[in-house]
Amino acid sequence: MTREVQAIVLLLVGIATLRISWGTTYLNYVKESMRPWLLVSGAVLVVLGGLLLVDALRGGREPANNDSDEDEEGHDHGGPRAAWLLLLPVLAIFLIAPPALGAYSAARDSTNSVKSDPSLGPLPPGDPVPVYLSDYVTRAVWDEGRSLVGRNVSLMGFVLSQPDGSWLLARLQLACCAADAFASKVRPVNLTAQALSLPEGTWVTLTGRWIPSPDESTEMSIPLIDVSSTRVIEPPVNPYD
Amino acid sequence: MSQSTKTRRRFHLGPLEFLAIGAVVLVVLQPRLVVLFDQPALQTASTVFVAIIVQALPFLVLGVLMSAAIAAFVPRAFWQRALPSNPILAVPVAGAAGIVLPGCECASVPVAGSLMARGVTPAAALAFLLSAPAINPIVLVSTFVAFPGEPEMVVARLIASFGTAVIVGWLWLRFGRPGWLRIPQRMHVEGSTPWHTFRLTASHDFLHAGGFLVIGGLAAAAMNVAMPTEWMEALASNPLLAILAMAVLAVLLSICSEADAFVAASFTSFSLTARLTFLVVGPMIDLKLMSMQAGIFGRAFAVRFAPATFVTAILVSSIVGWWLLS
Repeated sequence: MTREVQAIVLLLVGIATLRISWGTTYLNYVKESMRPWLLVSGAVLVVLGGLLLVDALRGGREPANNDSDEDEEGHDHGGPRAAWLLLLPVLAIFLIAPPALGAYSAARDSTNSVKSDPSLGPLPPGDPVPVYLSDYVTRAVWDEGRSLVGRNVSLMGFVLSQPDGSWLLARLQLACCAADAFASKVRPVNLTAQALSLPEGTWVTLTGRWIPSPDESTEMSIPLIDVSSTRVIEPPVNPYD
Repeated sequence: MSQSTKTRRRFHLGPLEFLAIGAVVLVVLQPRLVVLFDQPALQTASTVFVAIIVQALPFLVLGVLMSAAIAAFVPRAFWQRALPSNPILAVPVAGAAGIVLPGCECASVPVAGSLMARGVTPAAALAFLLSAPAINPIVLVSTFVAFPGEPEMVVARLIASFGTAVIVGWLWLRFGRPGWLRIPQRMHVEGSTPWHTFRLTASHDFLHAGGFLVIGGLAAAAMNVAMPTEWMEALASNPLLAILAMAVLAVLLSICSEADAFVAASFTSFSLTARLTFLVVGPMIDLKLMSMQAGIFGRAFAVRFAPATFVTAILVSSIVGWWLLS
């Protein structure tokens, strides 16, 4: 790999990093807190690549050094030759632009909530009060719904179709990045026929009240919500909880 | 110098031309590519792949900047003075140094490489390689947060990870052969000034380690989509199988050590000892690390180092888990 190409690969990776973190695309892959780090590392790569390109165009003050390095590592099929692979994520970002995870991942995750501290405070005021889907699941399953009794809540998530023709409201959460996403699911009750026919992946806001589930609480329990209204919405900027 | 010009003339199609032609072809084919990826499993895999690279990238950049700074600005003699001359003592000291230096596993591979190039005993640099991502302050705090009400998990992680790093370092000292390990030679990227050396080394290391990160990311993304979730639930019920399963999972999932505690915590059906094994194995050996280690230290090294580390990590975490977590 010549120095020009090395410089171009560095620039491309840097530009791709800046491009996804400049807007909101990065939220499909990682958490919001990563943004400053992505901007800084994108900038670092652009500077490194830019300076290397200047070196290369000026003829390189010590081309021998770099090339002997290549000889040493080239025979091992490792070395800077592996750097070509860095074009794969760049291509993925610019050509395919992988979307946020959705129904496919949610369907694969059978655990619904991790048993957690039961000392959950009361819900904030509001009628209806917007509640994160994961928060609703935790409160319903591990706090026996105590903090939900008598409250009108609104939940945001996407439609996850079930084999029996019904659907669950689901949303994914990231522990770190999209490689470890896990799902929260709620079963809506009393959906209108029109709401029931929504296609998988549609984003909706459900308003309604918690009702107790006849099943015992386990990590797989899917709590219920008695729905009073269903509204189709645009996918949120941050697709994850 | 003459040799290099010869090599370049042998290619009819230079890499630069290849890059340009490739770009044009891909832009033309783009609509077809998008259709090809318009399938849930492939789409999920591509999202996971990009997510792993994007998540690891800032840590990799930090790591190569740190290792380039070591190569360019820290005088060689410093390491000889900082570490005990007796290699048996240098191993635990280097392992303990991992507590102070924050870094994730993607960063520690190039850093360990540049320590070796600076004359640090390979066994000590390897102990540092294993301990730095596992027991640094960021990782311990995230473990504390991920296991509320179980602070002994933090202690167990610290002890088991440090223990594994030191034992593997000593094993290398006793049984390792110099021929297995290719010590990265820094002399080749010596620039005209320390600053020039710094940026040449950083560029070179990033391209090098980044390429292998991509291989690991591809493998982890494939696993993420291909592994049936029911398997895991069946494994959790058997205590011994649970430990092995979590160890294998740590290797396959290739999660950054800053985040693995949250993932471990979510495997609630598994015992605490099994989850400790996940936390000890993950930062030391996983798909992307094996790939990066093979790239930097050579394949002969990776095929010996990875299994040795894997087995030691499982044994040490089982003992520490039995002692502290039951």
